[in-house]
Order: sequence, then structure tokens, then C-alpha cells
Amino acid sequence: MATPHSKRAVRIKDAGDVFAGIVLLCFAIVLVFYLVPNYINEPPILQNPMMSPRWLPGIVGWLIVLFSILLILQGLLLDRSSEEDERSIEKGTTRRFVLMVVALVIYVALFESMGAVFTGILATLVLFVAHPVRTWWVYSLAFVFPIAVTFIFVKVMNVPLPIAPIGF
Amino acid sequence: MENFSEVIAIFFSLDNFIAIAMGVVIGVVVGSIPGLTATMAVALALPFTFSMQPVAAILLLVGIYKGGMYGGSITAILIRTPGSPASACTLLDGYPMAQQGHAKKALKAALYSSVIADFISNIALIFFAAYLAKIALNFGAPEFFWLICFSLTIIISLASGSMIKGLMAALLGILLSLVGLDEVYGSQRFTFGNYNLMDSISFIPLLIGLFAIPEIIEFYRKKALPHIKAKASGAGLAFSELKRCLTTIVRGSLIGVIIGAIPGTGATAAAFISYSDARRRSPNKANFGKGEVEGVAAAEAGNNGVAGATMIPLLSLGIPGDVITAIILGAFMVHGLTPGPIMFQENLSLIYALFMGIMFSSIVLLLVGNVAIKYFSLIADIPKSILFPIVLMFCVYGAYAVNNDTFDVWLMLAFGVVGYIFNRAAIPAAPFLIGFILGPMFEDNLRRSLLIGHNDLSIFVRGPITWTFIALTVGSIALALYRFISARRDARNAAGKSQQE
Repeated sequence: MATPHSKRAVRIKDAGDVFAGIVLLCFAIVLVFYLVPNYINEPPILQNPMMSPRWLPGIVGWLIVLFSILLILQGLLLDRSSEEDERSIEKGTTRRFVLMVVALVIYVALFESMGAVFTGILATLVLFVAHPVRTWWVYSLAFVFPIAVTFIFVKVMNVPLPIAPIGF
Repeated sequence: MENFSEVIAIFFSLDNFIAIAMGVVIGVVVGSIPGLTATMAVALALPFTFSMQPVAAILLLVGIYKGGMYGGSITAILIRTPGSPASACTLLDGYPMAQQGHAKKALKAALYSSVIADFISNIALIFFAAYLAKIALNFGAPEFFWLICFSLTIIISLASGSMIKGLMAALLGILLSLVGLDEVYGSQRFTFGNYNLMDSISFIPLLIGLFAIPEIIEFYRKKALPHIKAKASGAGLAFSELKRCLTTIVRGSLIGVIIGAIPGTGATAAAFISYSDARRRSPNKANFGKGEVEGVAAAEAGNNGVAGATMIPLLSLGIPGDVITAIILGAFMVHGLTPGPIMFQENLSLIYALFMGIMFSSIVLLLVGNVAIKYFSLIADIPKSILFPIVLMFCVYGAYAVNNDTFDVWLMLAFGVVGYIFNRAAIPAAPFLIGFILGPMFEDNLRRSLLIGHNDLSIFVRGPITWTFIALTVGSIALALYRFISARRDARNAAGKSQQE
């Protein structure tokens, strides 16, 4: 039978910290027991184990294990609700967020094939629609800025970028 | 004399003057727009420096840093929204002054305090960096190993928020810095067969991802808010008022210099310490928080006194004290330079040319700041809905330009998501970046010490310098524990009081 005392004992003070601690603990366990032994090649002869390429990642992994346990304990025992209040935001519409993700996808998917100017125009237009920007002439900036920024990168600062779509 | 003429030849180039002026202007503009930070601007400007001469490149970034420090105070005073965390203290008196119709006076006080503090900080940099570098010439691998340990622990112990989260961020940064080919044995570490990861993770996509992308994600995640317009009105600052604040400004500048020279403390702490010191000493202490010009001066002096001083550990020891100096360290590396005591021997002319540029940036800040006060409303009235798409464009173009590969754009976005998660979980990004930079240095000095000492661990305690750094490392861990325990005690006391009520 659960007593009021036992109910109090299991109450989580900061769920975010507990969640972050569990995620990091899982990651650290995978790191120490799977990633370090399988994805770091060790030379056959070592004069000192501390010289091994696996030594520092292993130590860091174990320290993450230790501190993620401490983070879980912190979440269970320490009340940091005031900090959580500061972190809270008033969420916008899903459409706004999704369109921002679309703009990011446009950049990564089309940047090399369609060029900096075209992807810049397209992504900027999508972001203006996402907000949404209601002043019509502002949409013209979506054409001006990608051209201007590409020009600064390529011609003024000599930093190469793909300018036009492939084939042009 | 030969060196002097070389310094003059390096510094007196049109490119350097343009870089400083552009840097300060960009810094003030970006700093004065809430949501855009000086860190973000320095990170985005880094790809532009690829084709520049090293001195011009560093001066551009330093100019942005200094301009951003001042620019943050403009919105703090006018619309009660600090452009940077360090300007949060300025609004305590700056905003009430603006409400009373003395906005211009507050802005001028902030500008003059910033310029004087910046100048004092630069003088400290010139004197102490060379002196510290001379001492650091006696350092070998074990001394540098302990110095890095001390830098990591002090940054974590003084980071705001949870110490455990700061530690975790630093550890993740170190772990990420180990990706790529091991320098001693050539073994692959966490490359997963991807050739893009062989040469370690690129610094610039990581930087842009961590400090610019989360702001953009947060803006589109949040509800759209109406844009607030601001106006600088009222009379300027009289000379008698500036004279009255002068002692406070000098004291605040010295506080900024001391705090800035210690890695990890930062401008925010300096501003608040300077402000509380000024309030304690001032005959007008009752007016503090209600619109006292001395309060604005103290906060800005503390805040800007840090700017030059944070470069002391960077130039003399090669250790970045905060995020912006970490980015500047990246710029040095892009140009094949390694800051530290050796640089003072091999590239002394370049360092003195940098010092001249840094001093000159204070004068530019004074000029640009005066213009910014006049035409500020034009800058601040650009809504974020127009700014952020342009910022994203700079992010993508800048990340791509590093290796001309879309992989870096992916990497930047991935770090952007990591940075956003960090923000939401209140995990500080600064220890992550410092860990990323210091991780390889830590491992390199550890291995070199073992090789020099023929695997004998007593090399790590070989002399007074190592013992000093060991004591400092232990001291900073003790400080972190003390802060953790006292924060818990305060929280418990506060909870007890609220229960009693």
C-alpha cells in the first residue's frame, strides 16, 4: 500500500533533467561498451595505456556515465522549477515551424544542384511566408539579398560558392 | 627599430583600417538588435576572413566583438531588451532614464564608459600579455597539461546555471574534438567510414550551428510578437556628469580587466560586480535602479573592461577565456598561426600590429557609437522576420564555404539542433565549445609529457609551475563545489521561507 510518504519520495522535481540524464547515460553506455572498442583502432604495441587512442574517449565516456547519474539525481532531488519557468516559451503555430524546416531542407537538398542564388531566393520566400510577412514589397528583398550576399562571398571576399544550377 | 618599422608596415594598410571600421559597425548594428548576438556575428564573419591577411582578419573579429559589447546596451536602454546578456545590468538604470526622457544621456554615458573601459582594457592587454607570455616560455608539456586542466575546471566552475550540465557540455565537446585521425598513431576515431570526418569536425559549421541556428529555430518555434519601435530622445551627457562618473568608470574598467583575464568569468559577471561596487560607494546610492547615470556608467565600464583583457590568456598562453576568444583562436588557426608564447618570439611584429589595431578600434567605437545613437532607430526597426532569413543565408553560405561541401551544411544544421536542445535544457554551450578546442590540446600535452618523461608519471609534478596549476585546478573544483552547495542551501532556505509564509 502506498503511503503519503512513499508518494513524496518518488516525486520528480525536474523531469527535464531526469530525461536528459537518462538519454546521456544511455549514450555514455553505448559509447564506452560499443563505440570505443569498435570504432577506435588500437595499435598492436603500446608503451603506456594512457598513450592509447582509446584512453581519453574511454575516460570521457566514464565521466559522462558518472555525471549523467548525478544529473538524474539532481532532477529527482532539486527543485529548479523557477529555472524551468524562464525556459518556457509561448509556442507559435505548427505551420510556422514546419515552413522553417522546409526552408532548411531546401538549403541542404538543393544548394549544390540549384546554386546559392536560387536556393537562397526559394528558402527566403518560404521563411517570409512562414512568419508571415504581410508587407508586399518586402518579398522583393528575397530576390535582392541572395544575389547581394552571393556577390559579397564570391566576388568581394573570394569565397567560392555554387552560383547557378548545374548545367547552366 | 627594425621591428618597429615592420610593425608600422604591417599595421598601416588600408585593409586593416577597413576591417576595424567594418567590424565595429557590424558589431554595433548586430549588438543593438535583440536576438542577434556579438557571438553570432563573430561566428558568421569567420568564413569571410579566409581570403584576408591575418591581421585584418583578426581585427575584423575583434571590431565586431567590441562593437557588439557596446551595441547590446542600446536596446537595453531604449526598449528594456538587452542585446547581449552582459547588457542586462545596463537596463537597471538605463531604461528608467529613457522613461524619464533622458535616453540620449543614458546612451552617451554608456558609450563614453564603454570607450574608456575599452581603452583601459587594451592597455592592460598590451602590458600583461607580453609579460605572461615571457613567463609561459618556461612552460613545457606537463605545465601546459595542468594549465589546460585549470582552464577547463575554472570555466565549468564559473559557468552560469547547473555545474553538472556545464561539466557534461565540456565532456561532450572534448569527445567531439577527438573525432578523426589520431595524430600519434593515425588510428581512426569515430569516423564510421565517412571520409568527411577523417580530418576532424570542422570548427566553423560547429560554431555557426551552435550559436546562430538555435536563435533561428527558437524564433520560428515561438509565437510571432509585435515589433517594438524605439527612439533616442532628450539631452546628451554634460561634461560635469561624465566627470562625476569618471572614478566609477575607472574602477569598473579595472574590475572588468581582472575578471576578463580569468578564463570563464565573462562580461556579465563583470558588469554586475562593477554595478554593485558603484552602488555601494556612491553618494547617490538611493537613486540606483531608478535612473542613475552612474549606474549605467558602472555597468558598461565593467562589461567593456573585459573585452581587451579576455585576449590576455588567448595571446600569451593560447587559451581562450570565453566563446568569442575561442572563435578568434579559430581565426588564428585558419591563418596558420598558433597564439601562445612562441608567437611572441616568432611573430612579434604581427602581435604589435594587432595591438595597434585593437587600440585604434576604441577610437572607431567612439565615432561609430555616436552615429549609432543618432541613427539607431533605422537599425532597430528592421524586424526579425526580415533579418533571420538573411542570417540563415549567411549561416548556410558560410558553412558551405569551409570545404565547398554540403556535408558541412548538414553538420551545421545538426549542431544547430544540438544547440537548440542545449538552450531548452539549460545546458551552457560555452563549455562545449571550450572543451572542443581544449580537448586535442589536453591529449597532445598529456602524450608529449609521457614521452618526455619516458612514461614516468612524476613528470606531472616536476616543479613549482606544475604545483601552482595543480593547486589552482583543485581550488577551482573546490569553488565549484562551494557554489553548488551554497546554491542548494539558498534554494532550501527560500523554499522554507515560502512554506512559512
